[in-house]
Amino acid sequence: MLHSRPVRAAAVAALSLMAACSGGKTGGTSGKKTFRIALIAKSSSNPVFLYARAGAEAAAAELSKTDSVDITIDWLTPPDEDGTVQAQRIAEAVNAGDNAIILSASDAGKVTGAINDAVARGVPVMMFDSDAPESKRFAFYGADDLALGHEVMSELAAQMNDKGKVAILAGNQNAPNLQKRVQGVKEEAAKYPGITILGVFNHAETPQDAAAEVLRASDANHDIQGWAMIGGWALFTKALLSDHDLDPKKVKIVSVDALGPELPYVASGLAPVLLAQPCYLWGDVSVRTVIDHVLLHKQTPEFLPMQLVRVTKENLGDWARQLKAWGATDVDSVYLKMTK
Amino acid sequence: MLLVLGLALSAVAGAHVDPVSGHTVNNFFNAHTLFQMATDASAFAIMGVGATLVIISGGIDLSVGAVYAISGVSMALTLRAIGPINPFATVAVGLAVCLGVALLCGLLNGLMVVGLGVHSFIITLGTMWVFRGIAFVMSHAESILVPTPLTSVAKASLGLGESLSPVPLLAMLAVAAIGAVYLARTVMGRHVYAVGGNAEASRFSGLRVRRIQLGVFLWSSLTAGLAAFIGAGFYGSATSSDGTGYELYVIAAAVVGGASLLGGKGTAWGAMLGAILIVVIRQAIRTLHLDQNYEWIIIGSALIIAVVLDQSSSRLLARRLARTTSG
Repeated sequence: MLHSRPVRAAAVAALSLMAACSGGKTGGTSGKKTFRIALIAKSSSNPVFLYARAGAEAAAAELSKTDSVDITIDWLTPPDEDGTVQAQRIAEAVNAGDNAIILSASDAGKVTGAINDAVARGVPVMMFDSDAPESKRFAFYGADDLALGHEVMSELAAQMNDKGKVAILAGNQNAPNLQKRVQGVKEEAAKYPGITILGVFNHAETPQDAAAEVLRASDANHDIQGWAMIGGWALFTKALLSDHDLDPKKVKIVSVDALGPELPYVASGLAPVLLAQPCYLWGDVSVRTVIDHVLLHKQTPEFLPMQLVRVTKENLGDWARQLKAWGATDVDSVYLKMTK
Repeated sequence: MLLVLGLALSAVAGAHVDPVSGHTVNNFFNAHTLFQMATDASAFAIMGVGATLVIISGGIDLSVGAVYAISGVSMALTLRAIGPINPFATVAVGLAVCLGVALLCGLLNGLMVVGLGVHSFIITLGTMWVFRGIAFVMSHAESILVPTPLTSVAKASLGLGESLSPVPLLAMLAVAAIGAVYLARTVMGRHVYAVGGNAEASRFSGLRVRRIQLGVFLWSSLTAGLAAFIGAGFYGSATSSDGTGYELYVIAAAVVGGASLLGGKGTAWGAMLGAILIVVIRQAIRTLHLDQNYEWIIIGSALIIAVVLDQSSSRLLARRLARTTSG
């Protein structure tokens, strides 16, 4: 068997090579012209990117009704964050004949070459959430990460009366957008003499890993009075609501993101302010921008700033209903019934 | 069999008529896709050849992904510290650092396995975290860009066309060929099979078992270092998270390629084909437009089916041989 299988497989490989040498050309499908957009987010296990997918698919469906093309979304997001896999997916999208690519970079250094190759082969690339500024992508839609870091710390300082020890929950240390947010938090903290940064805590970007990191850090440092969370991972679990180290009277959290599972933290007062990124719009705006730029040949700005939504007890109901309207299925009905 | 099935399905699904030109085109059987698959498979295949040697000897090396990371990061940091030098020297220094660091890791693995008498699973599980931790500390979690000459080498078209890069494919074939010759045509290679088949009998036969075991860990890490050199050059940067989870793909490639985790059985070409099978399945998922969320389920199931089919056909072959001999 050991001898026969490699021989058979080698024959297949030879057949493949012959087919390769005969040349090929990618193209669209039959019938109404199809425009395929590859959506490559950082990780399919991070809920924020599922909102981006929902936004992209909804925008594609809406535009397909009005335009003379069928716009489809090719979801090529890796299961886990990996810049190398993203670079491979970019090449695969080009080889599969996709007409444009929307990408959030896990590692700008790893994907820049692949983006440039795609552009050289006639496939335009747009970035969202996490940019690769040195690449030949035509546009970026997302928050100003440095300013976002400043805003998180500024809100937290207000909640802590400008004094106390702060820990930063920072996600994947290789993501350039998160590095900028951490920098923003540190720069802002430096403006408050009473605030001390105790440490930056990185972790795999899953809710359980993030929550475990918070609990470990809290156990080891009972004097943490504020958590500056530059991503909402830990609040996707309920673990922090019941931990004795995280008493809302003593500890305050300000976090980026405000999805359904995070809303109880606002209600409990542990996270009095969440800075929501309208993740749905990552997909929606990106698809519309790609269509404007590529099919309609409109001028599009290189940087499209994303406006954050400040979620507090004052607008919890309104925000919950907005999430529901975007297709969220994990918003507790308690919040949907709130008047504001 | 699965390789053939995957290729056939993808070829059929990838073929369609272009509405503009009216020509039949194929998104699977085209040079770009095939070279992309070869590039994706190359890291697993190159490392798979080294890992196969360890597996044949009766051991396992879980640290290859971490060796990949520490080699790439060391190379990128060294080249950044040196600053701009001539392109040939950049490539030479990069290759030397990558392979040197990898060999050092392999030496540590091998010495601990034979010196401490602890199973290689435990030693390499430990060094997997140690090596990745060192890479993390050294790099400060930065993605370190590598100089352009390395990318020019890894992405050289060699006259095939601007966007085709055959270097990873050639490196994969070269490593598999060297591995095959080493295992099948050299005395040292046959000794690896002997040790994996029965270490005690080999010792009584006068083989230097510990030296052979040390040697296979050197080979394993060396291939990881070479894969890191090509990978960092091709993708343009190195980080401490590079190669995360590669150890499982590499072991899967070796086992699908016919290596037995009990030792004494396996081939270098088999490891390469195992790696290609994994990548073909992945590509088939794209070409068939299956939901990406099912990728792990499909790959995992396909690997189990591939190994079961291989074992069944081996048993059938053995029975036929027995019948022929007795008849």
